[in-house]
Amino acid sequence: MQTNFSSEQLADPNTASSNQVLRTCVHCGFCTATCPTFVLLGDELDSPRGRIYLIKDMLESGRPATEEVVRHVDRCLSCLACMTTCPSGVNYMHLVDHAREYIENTYTRPWHERMLRNVLQLVLPRPALFRMAVLGARVARPVRRLIPRGSVLGDRVHAMLDLAPARLPPSSDMQSPQVHKAEGTRRGRVALLAGCAQTVLAPSINEATIRLLTRLGIEVVIARGVGCCGALTHHMGRHDPAMASARANIAGWTREIEGDGLDAILVNTSGCGTTVKDYGFMFRSEPAEWAMQAERVSALAMDISEYLATLDYVPTREAPGLRVAYHAACSLQHGQRVLTQPKALLRRAGFTVVEPLEGHLCCGSAGTYNLVQPEIAGRLRERKLANIAATKPDLIAAGNIGCITQLSGGVPVIHTVELLDWMAGGPAPVGLPAAVAVPA
Amino acid sequence: MIAQPPPKADIIARRPEIIAGLRALVPASGLISEELRLKPYETDGLPAYRQIPLAVVLPETTEQVAAVLAFCHKNGVRVVPRGAGTSLSGGALPMADSVVIGLMRMNRILDIDYGDRCATVQAGVTNIGITNAVSAEGFFYAPDPSSQLACMIGGNVGMNSGGAHCLKYGVTANNLLGLKIVTMEGDVLDIGGAHLDAAGYDWLGLMTGSEGMLAMVTEVTVRILRAPEGARAMLVAFDANETAGRAVDAIIGSGIIPVALEFMDRPAIHACEAFAHAGYPLDAEALLIIEVEGSVAEQDDLLGRIAALCEPFHPISLRVSQSAEESIAIWKGRKGAFGAVGRISPDYLCMDGTIPTGQLPFVLRRIGEMSDAYGLKVANIFHAGDGNLHPLIMFDANLAGNFEHAEAFGADILKLCVEVGGCLTGEHGVGVEKRELMRVQFTDIELDQQRRIKSAFDPDWLLNPSKVFPLVDMPVTAMPGTAMPVAA
Amino acid sequence: MSAALAPAHESGVVEAILAARAANEPLLIQGRGTKAGMLRPVQAARGLSTRNLTDVSLYSPQELIISAGAGITIPDLEAKLAEGGQGIIAEPPDLSALLGTEGVQTLGGVVATNLSGPRRVAWGAMRDHVMGVRAVNGAGEVIRSGGRVLKNVTGLDLCKLLTGSYGTLAVLTEVTLKVLPRAELTGSLLLPGLDAVQGVAALSAALGSPYGVSGAAWLPADAAERVPELAGRGAVAVVRIEDFARSVEYRLGRLTTDLAVFGTPVLLDDGASRAAWRAIRDAMPLRAEPGDAVWRVSVRPSNGPAAITALEATGARCFLDWGGGLVWIAGPPALHDSVMATALAGRGTWTVLRAPEPMRAAVDVIPAEAPALARITRRVKAAMDPSGILNPGRLYAGV
Repeated sequence: MQTNFSSEQLADPNTASSNQVLRTCVHCGFCTATCPTFVLLGDELDSPRGRIYLIKDMLESGRPATEEVVRHVDRCLSCLACMTTCPSGVNYMHLVDHAREYIENTYTRPWHERMLRNVLQLVLPRPALFRMAVLGARVARPVRRLIPRGSVLGDRVHAMLDLAPARLPPSSDMQSPQVHKAEGTRRGRVALLAGCAQTVLAPSINEATIRLLTRLGIEVVIARGVGCCGALTHHMGRHDPAMASARANIAGWTREIEGDGLDAILVNTSGCGTTVKDYGFMFRSEPAEWAMQAERVSALAMDISEYLATLDYVPTREAPGLRVAYHAACSLQHGQRVLTQPKALLRRAGFTVVEPLEGHLCCGSAGTYNLVQPEIAGRLRERKLANIAATKPDLIAAGNIGCITQLSGGVPVIHTVELLDWMAGGPAPVGLPAAVAVPA
Repeated sequence: MIAQPPPKADIIARRPEIIAGLRALVPASGLISEELRLKPYETDGLPAYRQIPLAVVLPETTEQVAAVLAFCHKNGVRVVPRGAGTSLSGGALPMADSVVIGLMRMNRILDIDYGDRCATVQAGVTNIGITNAVSAEGFFYAPDPSSQLACMIGGNVGMNSGGAHCLKYGVTANNLLGLKIVTMEGDVLDIGGAHLDAAGYDWLGLMTGSEGMLAMVTEVTVRILRAPEGARAMLVAFDANETAGRAVDAIIGSGIIPVALEFMDRPAIHACEAFAHAGYPLDAEALLIIEVEGSVAEQDDLLGRIAALCEPFHPISLRVSQSAEESIAIWKGRKGAFGAVGRISPDYLCMDGTIPTGQLPFVLRRIGEMSDAYGLKVANIFHAGDGNLHPLIMFDANLAGNFEHAEAFGADILKLCVEVGGCLTGEHGVGVEKRELMRVQFTDIELDQQRRIKSAFDPDWLLNPSKVFPLVDMPVTAMPGTAMPVAA
Repeated sequence: MSAALAPAHESGVVEAILAARAANEPLLIQGRGTKAGMLRPVQAARGLSTRNLTDVSLYSPQELIISAGAGITIPDLEAKLAEGGQGIIAEPPDLSALLGTEGVQTLGGVVATNLSGPRRVAWGAMRDHVMGVRAVNGAGEVIRSGGRVLKNVTGLDLCKLLTGSYGTLAVLTEVTLKVLPRAELTGSLLLPGLDAVQGVAALSAALGSPYGVSGAAWLPADAAERVPELAGRGAVAVVRIEDFARSVEYRLGRLTTDLAVFGTPVLLDDGASRAAWRAIRDAMPLRAEPGDAVWRVSVRPSNGPAAITALEATGARCFLDWGGGLVWIAGPPALHDSVMATALAGRGTWTVLRAPEPMRAAVDVIPAEAPALARITRRVKAAMDPSGILNPGRLYAGV
C-alpha cells in the first residue's frame, strides 16, 4: 500500500518499521473476517484493515492521537487472528504496538482510565501486590451492589470484581528462584518463566510443569531476577516499564545461558510467550550487546507444548475417557503459530480432543482487555462458551492463564500441562468434575 | 488514473442536513460522519482509488436499508453499496457526495433447509460463513472466490463472483434461488424464492453481476449442495507455459471435467509457496492444480486418467495430495495468491480478463513481452478450465508514476484478452477500474442499451455512481421521462 | 396476418424490425412456432422467424463452447455436439406432443422460453449455460452480451435477461452455449409404491446424497403407466445417475443402500434409463385431453406433495420432476384458479403451457408482479423495445 512519510519521519526507527508493515499491506480485506471485533460490531473501523488505515493516517499526519482513533485501537484485542489470516505477511502486532505507544505519548486519557491503567500496571506484574488486591476484591465483593453500573468506571470495577477469584490457592515455593533437578539422567536444561499473576492465581500450573519436565529428565531453572515479561505494560503502550521488565528477564536468563547453559526458555502462559519471542524486535535499536542478548533469548523461547512435543511424553495412567475441548489461546495459535502440539499431546495422553467452531476467535480475555473493555469481552466470552458447549466436553484445556480465568465458571478449565502431568503420574488437577472417576 | 466526476455542489452544501436526516434512520453507532472515521471507508480492495464519502451508514435491517434509500432518493443523494470491501475493481469506491451503505451488520443466517437444499442469509454473511453454517451436515455453498473468507454474499451477487471450483459448480448466478432487494425508491421486493426458475423476466439473473447499480440486495437465498464423498488435488508441474496449456486442452477434450483446474506461472508459484508452504515445485515454469471428487476409487480412477493425459507433455513432476492437510495447504496457497504477492511487491494490480483457453500460450507470451517493455514484473494465476486469467502486475505506489504505468500495462493486457475473443472481466467486475475500457468490448449502441436498462431501475442514476459505464463522450438515450445520466 | 418473414441473415432481422417500427406494426417473433401456444397469444400484423439463421459459427469442444444461429434445430445442434461427444446441459424438453404442435424446435426457442428438462435440478437451466447472445432489439439495433468464454461479468448480463423473455425484448439471432461431455453411462433407480410425501422424501434424500443425482421425479400410478419402463409398479420415484461407467455402477450401489428405508429399488439399465428420462423430459407421463389446459408450477420441492394432493383433488392429472419442485399439471381450463392458488400456497410460480385461446388472453398465464416490480418490467420493456412491437402481450397484457 502507498504510504506518505517524510524522510525525517522515517529516521525514527519505529516509524520506519511501521512504514515497512504498511507497505506490505495490500488492503485485500481478508483480515476483517477473522477479527473478533469486526464480527461483533460490523464496522470497518473495528477491523484490522480499518485500524491499519487509522494508524497509517495518524502516523503520517504526525498529529496527536484523537479520541476516535484511540477508541478503535483500544478495542483491538491484539489477538492477532489477522496475522494468521493475512496472506501478505503484514506484521500487525508491531504496528499496533507502535500505535499504542504513540497514543500513550500523545493522548491524555480521562482521569478514571488513567487511574485504572496505573493500578493495573502497578498491581498485576507484582505477585505480592496482586495477592493483596485479590483479597481486597474478596472483601469488596459483598458491597459490589453499592457500586452503580452504567458508568464506565462502575462497569470496569464490576468487571474486576467479577474476574477476581472467590478464593486463592496457597502460594507455592516451587516458583521461587531455584534449580529443580532432573530425575534420572539429565537430558536437558531449561529455564521456566514463572510469571507474575499466574503464580498467584494458579501456582499449580508451574508445579505441574516442573514435575512433568523433571520427570522427563529435564533440569528446570527458575532464574533469579526474572519476573513479569512486560507484555502488560507493552500492550498499554508504556514503553519504559515494558522495557525494564524485559531487560530484567534478559539479564536473568543471560546469566543462565552464559553459565550452565539453557536448551530452551519455556513459557507456559502463552500471552507471555508471544512477548518473550518478540524481545529481539523490542531491543532491535538498543545497544548491540542488549540487542544480541534479547535476540538470543527470543530464539530460545518456546511454549511448553512446543518443547514437550520434542520429548518422549508417555502417559502412565489409564486413559480417563474424558472429552476435552481444546481452546486455542490466541497468543498460542496466532501469536506463536503453535497449532498442533497441544492437541497432539492431549491425544497422546489419552484424552478425546474436540475442537469448537470459531476456534480462531478470541475468548475476550486478551491480557487486561476484559478489564478495560468488559462489554466486548463479555460478548466474546459468551460466544466462545456457546461454541465450546456445543462440543459437549467434560472439560476445557487451554494453555494460557488469561483464557482459563476468562472461561471459568462452568465446565472446568484446566491448563494443558496440568492434564499432561496428571496422566503421567502427577496429582489430579483441582477443579475436575466430581463425576470424573480419577483412575489410580 | 481514471478521473471521477466532480461532486454535486448542492449535496455537499446540504451535508449537515443530510446527515441529520440519516441519523434518524439507523442506530447511533450505525452512522459515521466524522472525517477521520470516514477515511477507512474511502477505498476497498483497490486502494489506488480513494475518495472519502459524505457519510457511512451501517443499517441492521432491510427496513433500515429501505428507509435510507428512500431518504437518499428523495434528496437526490447518490449511494454506494458496500459489503466487506474486498472488490478488486473499485466496486465500492465512494464519491464525495455519496453515502456508503455498509451491509456488514446484516450478518445473520436466517434459514437453512437441507431437505430443499437451500439457505437464506442476510447480505452481510461471508461466503465461507454459509458453508461453515451447513458443513456439519455435509453441505456446502459452491462458489468459492479466493476472498471467500472475507467477502460477503451481497457483494458476490453484485459481482457474480466465481472461484476456483466454478468449472464444475458454476458461478454465483448459477447458485442463487432468490433475493430480497431494495430499489432506489425504497421499495422492498422479493425476487425468486426457494423454487427454481421464477416465471417472467429473469430479474435474478440480471441483478447478479449488476455491480450494485440496479438495486441493493439485503437477503439472498442460495442453493446448498451436498459435499462429495471426498476430493483430492494433484500438482502437475511443467517446464513451459505452452506445455501446461496443451495439457489443459487434452484433459478437457478427453471428456473429464475436473472440479478445479488452476494454473500458476513461476512467479506466482514462488509467492504462494512462501505464504502457504504447500510444497509447490519451485523448479517449475508452470503448475497445474487439478482437483477431482468422489469416492477414493473414483478419485484414483480420474487422477490416473489425468496423469496419463499429461504424460505426453512430459511433466517435470506430478504429485497427488496424500492428506486433507496437504489439500488444505495446496488451496490455501492458491486462494491467498493475490495477497501473497504482497510479500514480493509492495503493491499489485490484479487483472481479471477471460480468454478462450486455447489462446493461453499466446496470451502469456504477449504478457511476458509487455512485462519487459513496461519494466514491471507480473505473476499469472489462471482458472485454466474456464479461461479466467489473473495477471498480477507488481509495482511500487511510492514511486511517482509507477501506478499509472502499471495501469497502462493492465489496460493493454485486457485489450489483448478482448482481441483474442475474451472479455475484460471474468469475475471481479468492471467497477471503476475497467470503466473506460468498456468500449473496447462493446459498441456505443450496446453500452447505451445497458444504460437504458440501468435507467429502468434507477432513473436518476443514484445507485453506485460512476461505475461500469464510461463517463465521457457517451451518446446517451435515457428513458423517456427520466433524468439523463450524469456525464462528466 | 401476412406471411412470416424468415431472413437468412441478421441484417434481414434488423430490416424487418426497422420496417415494423416505422409502420408501428407489432411482430410475432418465432423460431419454428412450436411454442406459439404457450403463455398469452400475440396480436401481430406479421411474423418474424429466425428459422433460417442456422450457422454454427464456432464449436470448440475443448473449450466447452458452441455458437450457433438461433434458428438451428435442437436435433441439428445435438448432432453437431455429438461429433465432439458433447451435449446440451439443460436437456431441453420437446413438448410437441403435449402442445400438439408439428415440427422441431429451435435453439432460439428453447432459450427464449428458458425451457429446461430433468437435469435442471442438478446442472442448471438453459439460462445457466447461455454464455453469449447476439440479438436485435426493438429499435433494430444489434446488441451482443456475454461472449464465447465461460466466465464473463463484463456489463449487465443481458444473456440472462433475454433468456426466458419470450421474444418480447429482442430477437435472438445467435446463441453461445456452454456444453459438457455426454455421460458415458446412465442408470436409474426406481422406487415403487411410495406416495407423494414419501416419494419426495426419497428424492430429497437422493439429491442430498454425495452421488451427483441428475434427475429426480415422482409419478403417480396413472402417469407411470404411460412410460413403458416405469409402468406396472404403481406410483414410482425415480432417480438418475449419469457419469463415467464405473462411477455410475458404484453410485447406484451406494444409493441403493442409502435409499433402503424407502424400499428395494429396481435398477434401470442405460437404455431403459435413457428412454424413461426422455419420456419424463417431454412430459409424456401427463395425459392431456383435447380441450385441457397444461401448466407447469415450480415450488419449493417439499411443497410439491401438498401441491399435487390439492390439485388431484380438483381432478387435475399431475406428476413431479425436479425433486418435487416442478409440478406438471393437465386438466380442464377451469382449474386455473386452483393452479394459481396452489402455486401461491407453495410460494412458487406457474406457467400456462397450453390452453384455449380465450383463456390465454384472459388469465394471468404467469404470476402478476408486485406493482413496484411491474413498473420496472414496463420500463425495461421500453428500454429494449421502445415501440412495443416485439411479441406484445406475450407475458403480460399491455407489456
